Amino acid sequence: MPLGRTQATALGYADLPIAVVAHPFASHSRDKLRKLADECTASVLKLIREAQPAAESVTKAAARIATIDVEDDADAVNRLFRERRWTDGFPVVAPTRERVQRMLRCTPRDARDVVAVIPPGFGPATVELIAINAVMAGCEPEYMPVLIAAVEAAADPKFNLQAIQATTNSAGVWLIVNGPVAKRLGMNAGINCLGNGNWANATLGRALRLALQNAGGALPGDMDQATQGQPGKYSFCCAENEDASPWEPLHVERGYTAVQSTVTVVGASGTLNMNMHSKDDELLRSIADTMAHPSSNDYWFGGAPWIILSPEHADVLKSLGLRKEDVRRELWERSKMPANRFSARERVRIQSVRRDELGEIALDSLIPISPKVEGIGIIVAGGPGTHSVYVPSFGAKNAVTREVIWAG
Amino acid sequence: MPAMISILDPTAVPASGQQQTRRTLDSLQGKVVGFIDNAKTNFNHLVDDMAMVLEKQYGVKSVIKHRKRAATLAVADDVLKDMARQCDVIITGSGD
Repeated sequence: MPLGRTQATALGYADLPIAVVAHPFASHSRDKLRKLADECTASVLKLIREAQPAAESVTKAAARIATIDVEDDADAVNRLFRERRWTDGFPVVAPTRERVQRMLRCTPRDARDVVAVIPPGFGPATVELIAINAVMAGCEPEYMPVLIAAVEAAADPKFNLQAIQATTNSAGVWLIVNGPVAKRLGMNAGINCLGNGNWANATLGRALRLALQNAGGALPGDMDQATQGQPGKYSFCCAENEDASPWEPLHVERGYTAVQSTVTVVGASGTLNMNMHSKDDELLRSIADTMAHPSSNDYWFGGAPWIILSPEHADVLKSLGLRKEDVRRELWERSKMPANRFSARERVRIQSVRRDELGEIALDSLIPISPKVEGIGIIVAGGPGTHSVYVPSFGAKNAVTREVIWAG
Repeated sequence: MPAMISILDPTAVPASGQQQTRRTLDSLQGKVVGFIDNAKTNFNHLVDDMAMVLEKQYGVKSVIKHRKRAATLAVADDVLKDMARQCDVIITGSGD
């Protein structure tokens, strides 16, 4: 109900009749469904007959950010934030006017500029709102241009943020940073780059998540219906290890120059460690076999999964004479799964979504993880070691890259 | 009296789009009803059963059904326009 009502209001249908059906009904028998259909139809009829024509009203103009007076005490501040569900579950830095102003001085954009409208509530993420959430997360002011670019990228229709914000899937937003800004901000692209300990990685990922939550309105248990979620929904951010990569970095691959800085957002369902000691073609087979699992959203939608190659694994592949696009092609081919590895229900879902792309699917049809080779993303990150990471994606989305624009 | 500070609200003012006007209906007799099936498990059966009830018990003239390819994929604009043109009422599902 909250999702339906919030979105209906945002689209100008505040009084849209909504019937609530007892949930879940996915496992109901046909007899039980027929009974439910009778009840549901009666509810719908009642709503249609009782609904009043919408009254004229004026679109609300974007309001100024509200201020709240609170005791100057960290415990009191965090009590307030917990009660109002403005935080991610961790304590925050109090977003005072002074702290927010310091953030705003690091962007040339006006505080009231709307960077993006964030689903599912379609709340406007203004520059000021982003700054407030950046303060809460503990960001340094110089992180603002990166964060603004990240919010813009996440709101791009190609990213399908609506789906991530309100899904039962575990998906969160993984933020990859490329170009000179990564070193300028002291980001971690090496040892433990996806883990704890680096201020920029931790607070940028956190600020992005807070901004999307607080602008979009999707709170866990309300509009965010993730069955379990994942730790990456607290913060999931790293830089690419461009120095250690034998290939061109992600942003150059995507058409930017090496001296430009970019952010890329990925709808990531989690991470899976791949510990592989092969020094030959078997490395590719191991990665491809890891990608191929029958519970994957990527196969269902024709997705966009990612591989984070350790520098060592990247060097092995390079030594085999492979460019990044060769690795991508090999993985795309080798990760194709026969349809009989999926359950009957998943085959029905795959057929429904990918019929135009794949035609009729037989039990021995080979299902590619992505419609095209280019759908597989690859970066090099991490420190020494034989561990790379598989990042399955949410599936129904594409990673989006945006340039980071500096003030001067 | 403890010292106080002012902090800024981190949430967005919820959007409220310009209110759209709607027609109301006294009955569904002779009307065309549309369903947008969000492709979640069993919704298609619920739609089929509701369609039967609407036609047999409430005199609905016809039912048009559109099943999305997947819950997370939006309905194409041309499909929406076509359904809006043909239907007096459209019922759609949200959630699981």
